[in-house]
Amino acid sequence: MKGSFRQSMAWLHTWAGLVVGWVLFAVFVTGTASYYRADISRWMRPELTKVSPLTHAELPAAAERAVAYLEKHASEARTWFIGLPHGDEPVLDLFWRIRPGAPPGHVILDARTGAEMALRKTMAGDFLYRFHFELHLPPIWGRWIVGICAMIMLVALISGIITHKRIFSDFFTFRRDKAPRRSFLDAHNVTGVLALPYHLMITYTGIVTLSMMYMPWGVTTAYRGDSQAYFSEAGFVTKSRPVANRPAPPAPIGPMVERALATFPERLGRVSIAHHGDAHATVIAAFEEPHGLSHEHPQIAFDGVTGAVLEVVNGGLKPAAKTFSTMVGLHEAHFAGPTLRLLFFLCGVMGSAMVATGLVLWTLARLPKANERPFFGLRLVQALNIASVAGLPAAVATYFLANRLLPPDLAGRSDWEIRAFFAAWIAAALIPLARPHRRAWSEMLGLVAGLCLAVVLADIATVETHPLRRLGAGEALFLWFDGALLAMACLFAVAVRKVARYQAPSRAERSREAPRPSAAVRSSERPAPLHAAPPPLAAAEPERA
Amino acid sequence: MTPTILLLNLSLCFAALTALCLSLNRHHTEVFQSKPSARRILLLRVLGWTGIGLSLTVAGVAEGWNFGPVQWIGTLTGAAVALVLLLSYRPRLIGQACGATIALAVAVSAMLQFA
Repeated sequence: MKGSFRQSMAWLHTWAGLVVGWVLFAVFVTGTASYYRADISRWMRPELTKVSPLTHAELPAAAERAVAYLEKHASEARTWFIGLPHGDEPVLDLFWRIRPGAPPGHVILDARTGAEMALRKTMAGDFLYRFHFELHLPPIWGRWIVGICAMIMLVALISGIITHKRIFSDFFTFRRDKAPRRSFLDAHNVTGVLALPYHLMITYTGIVTLSMMYMPWGVTTAYRGDSQAYFSEAGFVTKSRPVANRPAPPAPIGPMVERALATFPERLGRVSIAHHGDAHATVIAAFEEPHGLSHEHPQIAFDGVTGAVLEVVNGGLKPAAKTFSTMVGLHEAHFAGPTLRLLFFLCGVMGSAMVATGLVLWTLARLPKANERPFFGLRLVQALNIASVAGLPAAVATYFLANRLLPPDLAGRSDWEIRAFFAAWIAAALIPLARPHRRAWSEMLGLVAGLCLAVVLADIATVETHPLRRLGAGEALFLWFDGALLAMACLFAVAVRKVARYQAPSRAERSREAPRPSAAVRSSERPAPLHAAPPPLAAAEPERA
Repeated sequence: MTPTILLLNLSLCFAALTALCLSLNRHHTEVFQSKPSARRILLLRVLGWTGIGLSLTVAGVAEGWNFGPVQWIGTLTGAAVALVLLLSYRPRLIGQACGATIALAVAVSAMLQFA
């Protein structure tokens, strides 16, 4: 870490990027997919296309049915959450928690009859969404790991900006036909620089989203550990009421839902009931946020015994809280319509590509000479690169495939989908270890392309209401979802061809390129290393076949 | 977030970025096989930055100054990606693409004017 400021920043960028790159790639890919979380969920529950959406007038009665079910099956739970039916999910989605730490109860009811629905059990888009910030670990662990990685990502971004000398003159430059290190560096720069505002925004706001967990001490001190009091005083939620431990007959939920629906024009997303049957029972109606950057859900709290309105929360956040919720809003982009959402998605893809090309660059800059054996670290990074860059997309495709192919009545079905995801990922990480490096890349990328194609075929084969089986009649979602998967398959197939057709530069070309101190500062007067300590430029592809 | 405004902004940003891109020696040579003159560089840069400023104004005025900048950055990124890919795969088409986007921007604004 000697030398100029820029050199030490290059060192920082290289190593900060490397240590968190694999986790970040997974976070980026699943986060990008989560822009379409609702669509993924809908696609993964094709049975729902047969259910017609409910009208506003039907919602109060549907809520009554939910309460009747919960009184029968979850009477000992402290809090019930009733997801009300809406366009994409015309069903009652019930959650309850008996005590903290215990796994929550969950059931989906037919909103018109109140009976349990014969839906395939799946975590659907929620799995990818939660994986994005919890990595399918216990939430505390996952969130801490993702938070630390995001923090290091911020370091990598800023040190990357400092390292990159020619941001403006190389702004549009992408030389595909040069030496691999050159074109990978261009790709890394272009994906990083063109979407830089997005990368900075998404990383920073991502950390802010969970900042209360990472830095709880202010709230702990000021509110004596009662974070609920903080959230209600800040205006995010209604005040919580302590349990009275006196039973009292609950008021019917229907009129409360009716009143809530009449109060705000936004969609009523969820009704939660705390301490049902207690004298301090509270019913909270939470709405979707009104159109805006900031994430502000209007809420109405009712007394669960009298049915009277206790409190209405509707915007009016103070500047700090407003800043916080605007950052959360920017991160989640609920405000984005279809076209802007597509642009956000594109930026997410560019972020994933930036991480992936950065990881590959690390290995390209350290390839051994023709007569040297690759050192252990290089082999390790190469293997982990394939495992994440090809392995994760393979795992996601397998998750979709499992959703279509597992028998609908399989016990623990949603867990099996997740097991399929991880099994595919582990397989995609282990198989390349037994294969020559170049061959492993093209095989694994080919596998992803094949899996994406298989998902489309399985979708058409198993979903009776698929538009392609009904001469175009049916839901367009299935067409464009499959179209997107086909596009993915094509992209990965192109990548296979690139890897397969790539020719290592001949000896003559190599010696011509060798004297360059580094690709990053090719035409600069000062010989600064690419990303610190450059071994001699890419000598030979490690072809051990 | 009307798709029309997004389309207008995408085409404006593409045209503006093309101008800025062609003001660089390397890319001008790729497209026209010659280096740009100093006057041309100045002209292209003025046009480019004006276009970028214009697109920000359009986004801010049409979508409000809260959504506008978010959408503007999105379209700027989208247009830049399209430009870089085109420049890398079909540099000769840059001029036509730029003309087409300017025509599109004019058509969309005329449509908005008379709609």
